[in-house]
Amino acid sequence: MILSINYLNKMISISLFLKIKKEAKRKSKNIHSRYLSFLIILIFIVFLNLSNLEGMPLKEEKFFIAVFPFENLSGTFAPLKDFRALYIRKLKERRFQILSEDILERFMAKNRIRYTGGIDKETARALKNETNVEAVLITSLEHYNDTNPPKLALTSRLVSTGDNSEILWIDGFGLAGDDSPGILSLGLIEDPNELLSKAIESLTKSLENYFLKETGKEIIKGVSKKFQPKTYFRSNIFDSGNKYRVAVIPFFNRSERKNAGEIMVLQFIKNLKNAGKFDVIEPGIVRNKFLTLRIIMEEGISLSHADLLFTELDVDLILSGKVMDYQDYQGTYGKPKVDFSLQIIERRSRKVVWSSNSNNEGDEGVFLFDFGKINTAHKLASNMVKAVTNLIIK
Amino acid sequence: MKGNIDRYGFGLKTMRKNMKIINMSRILYYLVLLVLFACATTGGDIYRDPNMDFGVIKTIAVMPFTSLTRDNVSAERVRDVFINKLLSTGAVYVIPVGEVARGIAKAEIQNPSTPSPEDVKKLAGIIKVQALFTGVLREYGEVRSGASSANIISLSLQMLETETGKVVWSASSTKGGISIWDRLFGGGGKPMNIITEKAIDDLIDKLFK
Repeated sequence: MILSINYLNKMISISLFLKIKKEAKRKSKNIHSRYLSFLIILIFIVFLNLSNLEGMPLKEEKFFIAVFPFENLSGTFAPLKDFRALYIRKLKERRFQILSEDILERFMAKNRIRYTGGIDKETARALKNETNVEAVLITSLEHYNDTNPPKLALTSRLVSTGDNSEILWIDGFGLAGDDSPGILSLGLIEDPNELLSKAIESLTKSLENYFLKETGKEIIKGVSKKFQPKTYFRSNIFDSGNKYRVAVIPFFNRSERKNAGEIMVLQFIKNLKNAGKFDVIEPGIVRNKFLTLRIIMEEGISLSHADLLFTELDVDLILSGKVMDYQDYQGTYGKPKVDFSLQIIERRSRKVVWSSNSNNEGDEGVFLFDFGKINTAHKLASNMVKAVTNLIIK
Repeated sequence: MKGNIDRYGFGLKTMRKNMKIINMSRILYYLVLLVLFACATTGGDIYRDPNMDFGVIKTIAVMPFTSLTRDNVSAERVRDVFINKLLSTGAVYVIPVGEVARGIAKAEIQNPSTPSPEDVKKLAGIIKVQALFTGVLREYGEVRSGASSANIISLSLQMLETETGKVVWSASSTKGGISIWDRLFGGGGKPMNIITEKAIDDLIDKLFK
């Protein structure tokens, strides 16, 4: 429907444009009028692009979603209810239909749902049957610091409900008030609410773009070589032409930062999903399998446990890792640090097909005026994970 | 003729004097060489079993390292880097750490970082490997001397053959520390990750040479 309206709009615009162009051609007998026609072409192109993104309704029938309470992985207190209210408001502005608060609360109480960082198959099925929502929006707050300059990191994903629960869209943003200070520090953001608003606006825009383009496949743009793993092993078993089903299992957290393991899991899910070459299993389903199969990992996943997960989750690859360092900093002076290792086990060979070590700091390659400095561990980790993903799929 | 030789300094006396100088400088040259050779290391930090055929080793396991440092995570970090470096050589396959942990638990090994030959045989039967690596992390982190400081790592590794439980290879490496440059100009040395990789590269070179 969206496409048809888009086409109609385009056709009208093009016919209008042709008429004006004809008129311009008739009148134009000197070189100045040619410039005028070029200008008209330019205006029309801009108009067409804008009309595609902003002017169009999201869908004829509104997409019905439930917004789960935010999961706090920041390790600090944060006004999560306010964040969620703002997110819902922004989503409603973008014409999403949101499941009402009391129905969601009743559903969660009835099904005894306490964990809001993911959704398992049973809950997804129950949510579809009882409330008829099409998807659930799960958001994790990874970092929150309201001291000047404020810092914030959010990751949000849309998971379909019903029998085949899968991740439809996932994106995340790590922002700092001094990301782009500009000339005379005029671009500094000192108000944490302004930063929050910016982050949520970016998330809703990204979600809307997913529906408009009707694809979640983004080509991962190249990242700087400095973010590549310091050591890596890639087995020949990997076939870059294949599409793999992947389960990202919980990372071991050896850092001093609380929940760093969960944050890294989200980073990998985001980047693998957006690479377009992997079907990533919803982490709520993986978590549920760990609980039902009573899998306790001591230092990493054993092959017998891996076999169990391969069968139960029907995946080709199991991705696991360790976070050695995940540091954000407070205030103006400092740098984020991220250090992690990764292992991927393949189903058929029962072997490690990828192994790597990555470590970076936010000020690497920065020489003048903090130009190019990364201010949040989220952004640094995102670049590092992107670099790893690029090497895996190469 | 004699007069000519005298005139141009090619007399017998001059020649003898020149020869003496040449001989003296030769002796000095050989003496310096001898002193330099005497100062050289003997490569005594590597042990390699001459009867062992290292070519047959295709699958190995890396046991948890013993840490003699204050940092608890350092041994795990170094072990991870070592596993990656070994895998990236392509010469051997290293089984996942989770599988090693399962084997250790199943074989009921009390001290996995220093297993006895019986433990080694028992573990190899469970996880199906041809060799095991054990390691001791002797130093990891910052060292201070006066006003200067720098990062240092000191690591020793052993390879145990699983059929007999014998040590077939052993080596150690120390990297980082306070250099003359650090003493004169400060700077704090190189980052920990870089010197860790250097030490492990050094050990892997010693293993494959």
